[in-house]
Amino acid sequence: MINTTLWQNNISMNNSNTLQAINATCPACGLLCDDIALDNKNNQISITNSGAKNCTKSVAFFEKKPAEVPPQIAGKPATLAQAIAKTAEILNKTKQPLFIGLSTDVAGFRAVFNLSQKTNGHLTHANAASSQCNLNVLQSTGWQTTTLTEVKNRADVIVCIGTDIVSHNPRFFERIVWHKDAMFVDSQAREVIYIGENCDVSAGISPKGRHPSLLTCRAGDLPEITLVLRALVAGKKLKMVEVAGVKVSDLQVVADKLKQAKYAVLAWVAKDLHFPHAELTIQNITQTVAALNEKTRAAGLPLGGSDGDTTANYANTWLSGMALNDSQVEHDCVVWVNGFGIDKKAPKSDKTLIVFGNSNCQFETVPDVFIPIATPGLDCSGALFRVDSSVVLPLKQVRETSLPTLAEVLSEIEKLI
Amino acid sequence: MITLLKNGKLYDPAHGKNGVVEDIYIRDGHITAKPNQADKITQTYDLTGKIVMAGAIDMHSHIGGGKVNIARMMLPEFQETRGYSEPEAHICTPNCSHNATPSATDTGFRYIEMGYTAAFEPAIMPINARQAHMEMGDTPMIDKGGYAMLGNDDYFLRLLSGKADQKAINNYVAWILHATQAIGIKVVNPGGISAFKFNQRRLNLDENNVHYQITPREILKSLSRAVSELGIAKPLHVHCNNLGAAGNFQTTLDTMGASDGVPMHLTHIQFHSYGTEGDKKFSSAAAQISEALNKNKHITADVGQILFGQTVTASGDSMMQHLNAKHANPKKSVIMDIECDAGCGVVPFKYRDQNYVNALQWAIGLELFLSVEDPWRIFLTTDHPNGAPFTSYPHLIRLLMDKTFRNEAFAKLNLDAQAMSNLTSLNREYSLYEIAIMTRSGAAKLIGLNNCGHLGAGAQADITVYTEQADYEKMFTKPDYVFKNGQVVVKDGVVTKVVWGATHTAKPDFDIGVEKNLNEYFEKYHTIQCDNFKISNDQMLEDGRGSLITHESKVRAN
Repeated sequence: MINTTLWQNNISMNNSNTLQAINATCPACGLLCDDIALDNKNNQISITNSGAKNCTKSVAFFEKKPAEVPPQIAGKPATLAQAIAKTAEILNKTKQPLFIGLSTDVAGFRAVFNLSQKTNGHLTHANAASSQCNLNVLQSTGWQTTTLTEVKNRADVIVCIGTDIVSHNPRFFERIVWHKDAMFVDSQAREVIYIGENCDVSAGISPKGRHPSLLTCRAGDLPEITLVLRALVAGKKLKMVEVAGVKVSDLQVVADKLKQAKYAVLAWVAKDLHFPHAELTIQNITQTVAALNEKTRAAGLPLGGSDGDTTANYANTWLSGMALNDSQVEHDCVVWVNGFGIDKKAPKSDKTLIVFGNSNCQFETVPDVFIPIATPGLDCSGALFRVDSSVVLPLKQVRETSLPTLAEVLSEIEKLI
Repeated sequence: MITLLKNGKLYDPAHGKNGVVEDIYIRDGHITAKPNQADKITQTYDLTGKIVMAGAIDMHSHIGGGKVNIARMMLPEFQETRGYSEPEAHICTPNCSHNATPSATDTGFRYIEMGYTAAFEPAIMPINARQAHMEMGDTPMIDKGGYAMLGNDDYFLRLLSGKADQKAINNYVAWILHATQAIGIKVVNPGGISAFKFNQRRLNLDENNVHYQITPREILKSLSRAVSELGIAKPLHVHCNNLGAAGNFQTTLDTMGASDGVPMHLTHIQFHSYGTEGDKKFSSAAAQISEALNKNKHITADVGQILFGQTVTASGDSMMQHLNAKHANPKKSVIMDIECDAGCGVVPFKYRDQNYVNALQWAIGLELFLSVEDPWRIFLTTDHPNGAPFTSYPHLIRLLMDKTFRNEAFAKLNLDAQAMSNLTSLNREYSLYEIAIMTRSGAAKLIGLNNCGHLGAGAQADITVYTEQADYEKMFTKPDYVFKNGQVVVKDGVVTKVVWGATHTAKPDFDIGVEKNLNEYFEKYHTIQCDNFKISNDQMLEDGRGSLITHESKVRAN
């Protein structure tokens, strides 16, 4: 018979004076590494495994000491009940609040969604602009993509377009590319190619010392370069010898490698494509993949992800039938939700400002109400979508706190609306 | 607290009741035998002249999980803004609408309005199970459950190609049921989704997956046996190889023999009943398929009827959906390889009655319904949303019950398609009793829901009350009452109370030793830890609204 306790993933918080070792999942970027080994000593967390220790995002997330701040009304300490009542009072008077940031997990997002429905609110995520680039491609042509475990076990050629990946997903190469075990490919022999500028290519050097290829170009030239690559993969003969300073013959080499690959992966990070109509560049990448898939196998891989952006987009989609978008709306109140963003600053606004944030939130203008909330994965359990969208991972509580969860606070507010 | 439903005309095939006038008593959410004189009846509904059936059960409908959500995300044009009144407005957003990509809330409301009280997501990718349950957890009004997809996951294919014994396979299948909180096992294009990742473009029943050197037939044999030996009520749910391809009926016929007589369910069989006759090399093989279904008593099937209009196809079958993507309308699609687990393909379709292939697909579905003799072995589905949104069920029921209506619709089809179908020679009209079998008692029996799909004492009091009308579409669109767990939740086709249903699961015994190998596999090849793959009961219940029902398996492990 099954011992049902084998199926419980939550830890119980013991006396915090003892040293406690915990396996945790890190929500600091879209990779959601779940191999994080932590020590909790007197409620101070430290990372103990080497891979995660080297990840600046993980270290910043887990090892930052929580600030001890009470709820505030107009900058003055208040009880939680007072802050909740004040928030409800403001929202009851508001015609259309704008909920921004949305940095939270599934349970938190459900609560924000419900409150926004009740208050005629509009939702927009902190990463709305870059998410919208991907969404534009999805909604115009669709795409052919893959996920991290497929990349780990199959990819023999990986092209990083307009990004070094590691600026956003520091452990991508360590955990996915150079991990020694792969089912269908010699992981150490993978070909890594970068196309872009200011790329930190060090992570792309194989454990045996093989250096990646780098085609340097300005980010603003990526639209043209990806278009030429797409044409070459489609077998078009081009008369030009150079595009935006890159030799067409060099791009032909890339095209040939893609065509010869058993499983080519073309990765991008929408946040790194800082130029107008970046969606057209993403579409060049995804249509290159589609052309390759006529004969061989290839897949796109949108990476990056932070602040629960994938989670907010997915949950909003099943809750409302529609993806979140980056549309701007009239509003008379700003509600900033910042569960994960350590040391993030509230956006400037001349409107009434309500903040539900982790205790390390910073402000340029004093919010009308600030309610510190538990951060999922640190102060409370939760669940989050990985950047490749198919995988949802549970988050654990790893330290003690008296802070309420976002869902707890919002459900109290909802009762007063 | 006893509720009395008085004088209703009962259609309850599980108890052989075909229009019998009887009273029903409800206590604590369940149907109960006639109470003692001392027990007080607190509420009485006079159902004189009304038709009473158990709540309907959709045994195959894509209501939650990755590919459904991708479809929603990709197709904002499917959404329309509506105003809703209470209590629906209480949780419905302005985007809730009757279409192919309903939101989770919308899904629950549209089902209950039609008298459906349960729906089963037939393609839960194990790695994506957490998302599927989150979406279903946000689906109000109805009970839910799902079938976990196996047979293209590298862990299983490694076991099978490594000649693991059946016991090891059984342990893994049981572990998957626990880990994913599913009630059944499904296989989609056995071996084919994996083969596509190795650049194979089609896979026939006896063709090898190039990497693993095993055939779909071996996969079917192994999985159907595992399901049977573990005592899972729901037979292996099979989406055959060669979905949608002209001439695929032979694969379907051969698949029926692949399990050596062990029960299997062939799903959306309409999409697998195509011949290659005629000028256009696309013809109906409904006669061959239904003849084989009539003969092979170990096989059940649901139809996956197509109905005309805009919809979207969302399938785990990345191999065949990649081929189908060229027919996308509007012209966009998503194809994914996922986590060495499976894949998905989301392709919007607009079925048109003047298109030869579409018109014939419509006719093939109906030919199957009318030619399969035993209504306990054929189920009413549109493979929502792949053939049509589930909201079109009342229309489909009328097509089955009303020959004149059906033949009038047929006469409007593409003329070449009409010439290739024998539909008008099929005079059968389904009876209310047969509809109740297909949509209630048969579905409950198939999945192993002992307390659902019938009106006997002990049943969950999920009950639908209709007014009999000549227009069966009208009748089945708008029940007079729907009771969910004994409470009235729909009156005159409108939701009056918001409730949250249960999730049905099956958790057969197994040897936990299987986790040793699984942990090693996850450690080496996966990108998450084995522990994080598993969904605990607490996680299923953490939103505080739903409940879990675990069904006993028919056999106990040694």
